[in-house]
Amino acid sequence: MSRYALLALALLAPLVVAGCYEDVTPTHYEAGVYKGKTDPLLEKLESGDLRDQLDQRFEIAATDR
Amino acid sequence: MKLIRKRSVPAAEQIANTTPDGGAGINRREFLRRSGITVTGAAMATGLGPGMMRRAEAERMETAPKAGVETEVRRSVCTHCSVGCGVMAEVQNGVWTGQEPDFESPINLGAHCAKGASLREHGHGEKRVKYPMKLVDGKWKRLSWDEAVNEIGDKLLEIREKSGPDSVFWCGSSKASNEGSYLQRKFAAFWGTNNIDHQARICHSTTVAGVANTWGYGAMTNSYNDMHNCKSMIFVGSNAAEAHPVAMQHILRAKENGARMIVVDPRFTRTAAHADQYMRLRPGSDVGFIWGLLWHVFENGWEDREYINARVFGLDDIRKEVANWTPDVVEDVTGVPEEEMYEAAKTLAENRPGTIVWCMGGTQHHIGNNNTRAYCVLQLALGNIGKEGGGANIFRGHDNVQGATDVGPNCHTLPGYYGLSEGAWRHWSRVWDVDYEYIRGRFDTEQQYDAGGGDMAYTMNIPGMPVSRWIDGILEDRENLSQKDKFHAIFFQGHAVNSQTRGPEMKKALEEVELVVVSDPYPTHLAVMSERQNDTYLLPTCTQFEQAGSVTASNRSLQWREKVVDPLFESKTDAEVLYLFAEKFGFADQMFKNIKIEDGMPSPEDTLREINRGTWTIGYTGQSPERLKAHMANRGAFNTTSLRAEGTDLDGEVYGLPWPCWGPPEMRHPGTPVLYDTSKPVSQGGLTFRARFGTEYKGQNLLAEGSYSKDSDLDDGYPEFTFGMLRQLGWHTELTAEEIRTIKSVAGVDDESNFEEMSFDPGSPGAKLDGVNWKTDLSGGIQRVAIKHECAPFGNAKARCIVWQFPDPVPVHREPLYTQRYDLVEKYPTYEDRKAFWRLPTAYASIQATDYSGDYPLSFISGRLTEYEGGGEETRSNIWLAELQQEMFVEINPADANDRGINDGQRVWLEGPEGGRINVVAMVTPRVGRGVVWTPFHFGGWFQGQDLIDRYPEGTAPYVRGEACNTATTYGYDSVTQMQETKATLCQITSA
Amino acid sequence: MARMKFLCDAERCIECNACVTACKNENEVPWGVNRRRVITLDDGEPGEKSVSVACMHCTDAPCAAVCPVDCFYTTTDGLVLHDKDLCIGCGYCFYACPFGAPQFPEESAFSQRGKMDKCTFCAGGPEEDNSNAEYEKYGANRIAEGKLPACAEMCSTKALLAGDGELVADIYLKRVMQRSGRPDTWGWQKAYGAGV
Repeated sequence: MSRYALLALALLAPLVVAGCYEDVTPTHYEAGVYKGKTDPLLEKLESGDLRDQLDQRFEIAATDR
Repeated sequence: MKLIRKRSVPAAEQIANTTPDGGAGINRREFLRRSGITVTGAAMATGLGPGMMRRAEAERMETAPKAGVETEVRRSVCTHCSVGCGVMAEVQNGVWTGQEPDFESPINLGAHCAKGASLREHGHGEKRVKYPMKLVDGKWKRLSWDEAVNEIGDKLLEIREKSGPDSVFWCGSSKASNEGSYLQRKFAAFWGTNNIDHQARICHSTTVAGVANTWGYGAMTNSYNDMHNCKSMIFVGSNAAEAHPVAMQHILRAKENGARMIVVDPRFTRTAAHADQYMRLRPGSDVGFIWGLLWHVFENGWEDREYINARVFGLDDIRKEVANWTPDVVEDVTGVPEEEMYEAAKTLAENRPGTIVWCMGGTQHHIGNNNTRAYCVLQLALGNIGKEGGGANIFRGHDNVQGATDVGPNCHTLPGYYGLSEGAWRHWSRVWDVDYEYIRGRFDTEQQYDAGGGDMAYTMNIPGMPVSRWIDGILEDRENLSQKDKFHAIFFQGHAVNSQTRGPEMKKALEEVELVVVSDPYPTHLAVMSERQNDTYLLPTCTQFEQAGSVTASNRSLQWREKVVDPLFESKTDAEVLYLFAEKFGFADQMFKNIKIEDGMPSPEDTLREINRGTWTIGYTGQSPERLKAHMANRGAFNTTSLRAEGTDLDGEVYGLPWPCWGPPEMRHPGTPVLYDTSKPVSQGGLTFRARFGTEYKGQNLLAEGSYSKDSDLDDGYPEFTFGMLRQLGWHTELTAEEIRTIKSVAGVDDESNFEEMSFDPGSPGAKLDGVNWKTDLSGGIQRVAIKHECAPFGNAKARCIVWQFPDPVPVHREPLYTQRYDLVEKYPTYEDRKAFWRLPTAYASIQATDYSGDYPLSFISGRLTEYEGGGEETRSNIWLAELQQEMFVEINPADANDRGINDGQRVWLEGPEGGRINVVAMVTPRVGRGVVWTPFHFGGWFQGQDLIDRYPEGTAPYVRGEACNTATTYGYDSVTQMQETKATLCQITSA
Repeated sequence: MARMKFLCDAERCIECNACVTACKNENEVPWGVNRRRVITLDDGEPGEKSVSVACMHCTDAPCAAVCPVDCFYTTTDGLVLHDKDLCIGCGYCFYACPFGAPQFPEESAFSQRGKMDKCTFCAGGPEEDNSNAEYEKYGANRIAEGKLPACAEMCSTKALLAGDGELVADIYLKRVMQRSGRPDTWGWQKAYGAGV
């Protein structure tokens, strides 16, 4: 086997080994900026009244009266 | 999207990050999804327009709520089981567009199961029978209601003329309202037959008979809500998580409060998954199991002696039988080892009050009445009956099976368990305001027949043929029947035949009978399972959401349903259909004498008032429509544990006025939340055990000893109240003049003299007067006076552990007719065959004489799925439910599957020993033990490998069809009630 | 600020599927699309447990992160919603979602994906609240009416809780105290981060 071939193998080896390596730190992505229509609900939710109403509803729905 | 590495995540969390689909377990639905079922749904989800998430069919959009349209809220009650969940329906322009949780209902607190949460689909009903139809040379033809009623009516009259009134089998329904089911029973009486029955026969008939004969009333003693008070709960043959899902809310609350939960079942059910202790029982060995528990109770002295001495009769006879059930015998017969039995007995003994829950797993046996009585005896020995947190909480099945049992179509009794004696007929004739002789004249009075054991009687006084046996009314030789002729016509109103056994024989019977009428919202399995070509009619009939009326939940509470939507298509209500035929037969004026007809519909309010006027036995007298409506309007005021109203005008009343609600409505009895609870006065819902079986037996006292309800003026046992008893006590002077007038008219006494001058010697008018009792007094005066003295109108007796009128006075174990353990038959044989039993020859020993366990080695049982109900036609036609259960299947243990080379998900043949075969998908699972297989019973529309879709009228085939498990089930009927034996038969399974 | 959360109490879940049909009923979801499902582990064996799963409305929603057209938005109370007019049905969100929530109705015989559909916490989408247009695309908007998701409100045993996360935690902790058992907050850590 020629020296060049050996050299090529030597250079390739780490890459080959690297191919067997499992990356345990996967890529995470960050969300982009929402490009859709505005949901009128968002404004409604700013109102404390609706939040209170939902919390009261939860008490009615979830408690073992 | 920006590709930016944000932060590292530990590898461990990555591994935990499996999607729900990729988890270790494979569940039932996943299994079915993977088993290659391509459903109609694939087609349904296609063709959606861009941006459209809505259903493809344009017409479906009409069922969606619309913005800016006025919405009305209607209150109803779920029609899918006996829990009685409140329903809030939102209606726009007559269309059911929304469903809201009914948080106010003390029964469900807004909750629903899969069926309840999908009720709105009933308001669409696309798979319904839309107009009357008949089969003409194998093709369905439309006809008008007039034509249908005339054609069917003429044919029925012709059959009646030729073969007598008993030659028609009328099948009523547990899904009818109280009013509808009551009219079904009344209709049969006016037609002149007792051949009318309903689902209770094959559901809890053995419970009703066993329990009523033990302590008086055959119903759930406490309530779902009262289970919050339990310290222990034992479930035998009950899978509440799938059959009564909302009941689990109360059960799990009890468990969170510290109650111990034991589940006993051949199958590791979803209920068992929540239990503290699960015990796997061999199918059909319930009596041995209960006696096995009692063996430990007696051995350790855990019985409640004080309670037994005061309130229980005949326990010593039980002790003798229990002594035979030593731990080794119990393990041999039931399969449950000694340690487990001991642990369970100890749990029940140390955690009192405790309740027992049983369902079809216990009732559907040829010794079902023995099973139910054994359960009662266990609770009596532990002193658990008549106590909050105790009781026998018998969960009924259909939404109104309790009400239909109480006042509806039963072949062995008139409404209110009055029976079929002349006295009973006279009582109801008075209530109906018709001449007794007129009713009698409607019946076959030409001849008497064998009422059993050679006693001859007219058919008016012989129980009719039960729904479990209607096919034998067609197939049996005429001379073997206790009536003039065989059935030549069957009329099914609200009943699924795929819930009855012996499919191939049923098909044969259907092909033999002259006329078949199905009055139902759906065609049902009945319309398609046979190869009939003609004389088969479908009458579109309403669900309970298309009418108003009352319904009785399992806990004996009555609730009033408002009409949600008008009848769909050309449908009519049960009562309207009955009225049309009553008109056709010429007895409408008599039958509906005191019931107003509005637009062809008999008034449900008037009908309930008639029920109120007649049903004194079980206290259905206080629940007037007005009171029930007031309860519905104020349902938020009721405590969710005690069910008592707190505040408002209803303060102290119990939700739905659970029967007995004594006296007329004006007496304002609050209803009875817990039966036989002596810690409360009778006027507040307290009660004693009923004095139903006489005052003594073989010289021994049957009345209570030193036990009585709170504040009672009689401080010992006493018999049931009669006018004579009031007179002896000197309490008759408290009756009003009006009450006395009514009592005299009931007695047929027109003596105007006062009581001091009247003679009460035997045979005198006074003696007749003395005989009027709390059940027949139409004024309610006797009840009123008894309760004024805080006494129970039905007396104060002991509960009895032995029922001397039954084939087995002491409940004993007998092997199923088709048993896996043939070696036990010699020691525990079945009964001798009977010649005339409910008008029919009934085989026992002659069937058990053959050992089938070699060729059919698997024990075969059936049960429920959450998504479906009963025969399933209605729920399999509900798109939201159908999607969740798309295939009929059989659960088989891995070992049994391997022995047969059967893979999970493959098609198999399941064959019963009588030759019925079903083609189903195998689900290999350890949920069932070795040697046991289980199928759901809700499927229909297939027969022995063939999909019958082509036999449905166009557009009415349910989304999901499958083999009816009962095509493969076998003969076997309870020795008291004719309950079918479906929870212990045999089968073999082979690859298909 | 408090935010909305789902929690399924596995001790109470009985796999009755009320949540599934309540969702179908409330939103008229077609056959084949399951915004909510019930998953059972160890089916038929001791230790069998069921949980009801839908979109968990994650704090850092992976679906939003991978969406090539950025059609997702998060409401102030933490609900993750999306605009179907933008969605191209690519399916990336399905692969990113740890709960298998995104659903794709089949659009043609060749099974090209339609617009993604998922649980909205019964909060509709970016259309006028409770309009016909909103109902057609996204289903009901109960939140705008002061109501909570139908699935949780109709749960047979009150196993499935939906509401303000703090109130949900309160009720759940009370139950745990009562049962003195081990918490079993399935999916919470994954959805809302380690701090819960």
